[in-house]
Amino acid sequence: MIALVNNFIQLLIILLLAPMVGGLIKKIKALTQKRQGAPVLQMYYDLYKLIQKESVVSETSSWIFKATPYIVFATAVVGALLVPITTLVPSARFTGDIILLFYLLALGRFFMCLSALDTGSTFGGMGSSREAMISSLIEPSILVSVFTIGLIAGSTSIYEMMGAMSSLGNPLFHPVFILTFLAMMIIILAETSRIPFDDPATHLELTMVHEAMLLEYSGRHLALMEYGAAVKQLILITLVVNLFLPMDQFIALTGAGGFILSVALYFVRVVFIAVLIAVAEVSTVKFRFFSIPNLAALSFILSFLGFLQYFVLGR
Amino acid sequence: MDSYLDILSVLILLSSIILVSHKRIKSYIKTFRIQSALIALTAGIMGWNSLIEEGSLDILVVCIIIILLKVILIPRLLHKTYGSIEYKVEKDFFLNIPLLIIICCGLVVFVYFSVSNISGLNEDHINLQVVNSFSVILIGLFFMISRKWALGQMIGFLVIENGIFVTAMFSTHGVPFIVDIGIFIDMITAILIMGVMVMQINEKFESININKLRNLKG
Repeated sequence: MIALVNNFIQLLIILLLAPMVGGLIKKIKALTQKRQGAPVLQMYYDLYKLIQKESVVSETSSWIFKATPYIVFATAVVGALLVPITTLVPSARFTGDIILLFYLLALGRFFMCLSALDTGSTFGGMGSSREAMISSLIEPSILVSVFTIGLIAGSTSIYEMMGAMSSLGNPLFHPVFILTFLAMMIIILAETSRIPFDDPATHLELTMVHEAMLLEYSGRHLALMEYGAAVKQLILITLVVNLFLPMDQFIALTGAGGFILSVALYFVRVVFIAVLIAVAEVSTVKFRFFSIPNLAALSFILSFLGFLQYFVLGR
Repeated sequence: MDSYLDILSVLILLSSIILVSHKRIKSYIKTFRIQSALIALTAGIMGWNSLIEEGSLDILVVCIIIILLKVILIPRLLHKTYGSIEYKVEKDFFLNIPLLIIICCGLVVFVYFSVSNISGLNEDHINLQVVNSFSVILIGLFFMISRKWALGQMIGFLVIENGIFVTAMFSTHGVPFIVDIGIFIDMITAILIMGVMVMQINEKFESININKLRNLKG
């Protein structure tokens, strides 16, 4: 029972924090360009405004178009339930693990591609074909890096993987995990449609990928889609933060005090990863679409070399 | 110390793979410079260790020579050679980049299976470091045969030399000083001769694409 309450509190933290991370990245980007930028909380206002508006649905579309926003949001929330923030308090045991998490997110993405095709607009078809290509290119690298961590932890449950990583001390000083960490950073950029893969700020027809799939949505549906994307981004950041920068081993407190301290440290690490993403966005340009396989191959090779180093080291 | 050397050996391997994934000659030179800086750091850590344990300065001197030679002098020479040939945008490699990277990965697997059977090397750390540094040699060789431009091949040669140096460092923790100096002098002579030859090729054939060397001139 206590474990379920703990899980629920952690889910609430992720849901509340999710829109702020995107705002933070935008703010850092604006500051590097000497602009003032939108306030960090801008996305909350946007969601509030969108939820009050009615959503317009095309007459030619089928039920998939109306069901997709709910599926995208629901998969993101269930995914967030599978990712604990801290190992200090016990989490409820689910049968689901990290593989389920990635395929839940893939389910949301699949329906997003379908709904973009559903209305028959040209941009939607273009966006979904590009999204399908990017996600299939990045999938081998996700699986290899996840399995490498799973092999070392001896389990694919996220809670146990986090425990194993925090018992290592500082994973980034380990030859296996420095490679896996770099691969995961490229995966985050690809999965959340950030700059080398897709520009989140543009609505230029020729380059957009993620935005092209949302073009037909409005009102409540659009709010759900955007909120789902923000939650998905925070899930991936939480995973990287907890697996590669664990800090639970430094906290001596137990109970509520330990939980609050752990969540505070979690905020700090999320901000750190957001800064890293913003720096990556500022310092590169969007790649030509046919150069994306190069980056995906680099990410795959990083995770595969990490896997290989594990066998060479034999521990 | 061993864990730092593990990390550095991984980063050196990574820099050579990133070198293969680059398209432009300027980024080749930049990546080569970063790789040399990592090698200098490795030599610095080993030199500091040997200074404390045995009181010998040899490896630290080698480290300083690497910084002067490979991080500063040779990249500058390469930039100079690059500046003196006329630049043409041209596809520089025979295969596409994802395939090149995956072949590099196959090379690392090959090295792992061949090196792990050598008896006497089977200590954990030494095994890892030798696998990583030995793969740098093969990746340098592969880089050399995958590029069309003569400058890319010069950099491939330099990466092979880096790989040999690092393999020697990791497997023996310091070769005799005089051997290192001999290798460095050989290398700098080779680079000077190659630089002159690239300029000559460019003057005679109006391109440094080695595919065009067969064209008749007269």
